[in-house]
Amino acid sequence: MRHAIVTEIWIFAIFGLGLNLLLGYTGLLSFGQATFFGSAAYVAGYLLKYYGIGIFTALGVGIGVGALSALVVGYLCVQRAGLYFIMLTFALNQLFYFIAYQWTSVTGGEDGMPGIPRPALLGIDFRQPLAYYVLVSALFLLSLWAMQRIVESPLGKILQAIRENEVRAEALGYNVPRFKLLAFVIGGAFSGFAGVLYAMLFGIVPLEAIGVVFSGNVVFATLIGGSGSLYGPIIGSVVFIWLSESVSVLWARWPLLLGVAFVIVVLFFRGGVVEAWSRIWRFSKRAS
Amino acid sequence: MALLEARELSKSFGALTAVNAVNLRIEPGTLHSIIGPNGAGKTTLFNLLTGRFAPSAGRILFDGRDITGTRAHRIAHLGLARSFQRTNVFPAFTLLDNVWVAAFACSRSWRGLLWRRTESYAGVSAQARQALNDVGLIAKQSELAREISHGEQRQLELAIALAAAPRVLLLDEPAAGLSPEETRRMVALVRALKGRYTIVLIEHKMDIIMSVSDRISVMHFGSLIAEGTPAEIQRNPEVRRAYLGGMAA
Repeated sequence: MRHAIVTEIWIFAIFGLGLNLLLGYTGLLSFGQATFFGSAAYVAGYLLKYYGIGIFTALGVGIGVGALSALVVGYLCVQRAGLYFIMLTFALNQLFYFIAYQWTSVTGGEDGMPGIPRPALLGIDFRQPLAYYVLVSALFLLSLWAMQRIVESPLGKILQAIRENEVRAEALGYNVPRFKLLAFVIGGAFSGFAGVLYAMLFGIVPLEAIGVVFSGNVVFATLIGGSGSLYGPIIGSVVFIWLSESVSVLWARWPLLLGVAFVIVVLFFRGGVVEAWSRIWRFSKRAS
Repeated sequence: MALLEARELSKSFGALTAVNAVNLRIEPGTLHSIIGPNGAGKTTLFNLLTGRFAPSAGRILFDGRDITGTRAHRIAHLGLARSFQRTNVFPAFTLLDNVWVAAFACSRSWRGLLWRRTESYAGVSAQARQALNDVGLIAKQSELAREISHGEQRQLELAIALAAAPRVLLLDEPAAGLSPEETRRMVALVRALKGRYTIVLIEHKMDIIMSVSDRISVMHFGSLIAEGTPAEIQRNPEVRRAYLGGMAA
């Protein structure tokens, strides 16, 4: 595999980690994660392009914009539950999409925002695919470590308690909407972080990066990998990006494969690849 | 002074008045039972006292402070813990995690909320284990809540309420659906907690009520129709007509 594909997998996995804090741990299905991914990519991309900021400043901006946009969107969404919540995340994503679509002088509209540089740092030229791959890999591991700390912290327990039994969590003394909002903000920060890495990888912020299809893709990938575990979104990203980058060259109807994989997951392996693997593992151990 | 007090407390759902101008005073250190036929409004009264519903009229005072309209999670922090009539635990959690989140909710400091490991909160973990120990479930602390028996889930329900180290414990039919043997164990448990906590108890089983209560309030169609010691309640003709008589018939 080319470096660029693996780099893209790691970036998508960071995006998935953020979603899974909502989906897997808190039980909130957000269909609007691209809002934070795209907003961060546009803002940091703009600053990279016209103001020549450094890589780490850009990533910091991405985290900030991701968290802030998630705070606004999340504040509106956590007031509602169930289907209304999902529809709100979706509708607000559409709103952001059309702002990006219309505001051509800044975002480039349908053409995207091209010409985003990868600034050198400490004499390392990140325009080299290998150098950028190493940087993204390191940042991915850092993100994974941070997310692991979060899900093993009291916050991780509280979010899971909310997923398991919202009424009881409230009765115990937890301000449930506030905790949902916190999960949103953290998820948004991860999305924004991934968005900036994505913009620098391709040198462009395509309009799709803020679109609902992109939001759907990360939900897809996370469910296929397994939303019940920390590593599910990573496995899901490997499957999703690998299929889209390699099979799509051979066969234009590749999303059909994805559809089949999704149906299999929903029907037989609600815990995704992670659960399928652990079942096969147990089965083979019993057989031997 | 009463620790928990309801003044002319009412709650209507449309045309139905579930709780009608109830006056209730819970003295500190006592076990105060609320009895009444099904649908008398007992659970609704609990939902009002714990802030799950906002009352339509009237006031609630806790430790002399007006807490009317305060939201449920804030009331929990003041020291009011409840158990639920229908088992209401975290099914996919271990027993220890069930009580751990309860203990953490009321711990004084949430420092490290986002990054400290849960095991590193020694005080919270000790409090959680104590609660499991109090209800006799410590040996099963690593089992999942959905895999233990119904009777044990009722005990866990109680442990979750205890783990918050409350000042007032509101128990909504802790013996609901228990076998005679499990009921005996639950009664022994409630009796052991008496004196350590101020307890408000909703129960249907009269033998439990009469043997553990200091005071009893009787609800009927949303209103309190009598209050007194167990002996007074047993003699009260109105109560006999409304409730005890109804059960004999």
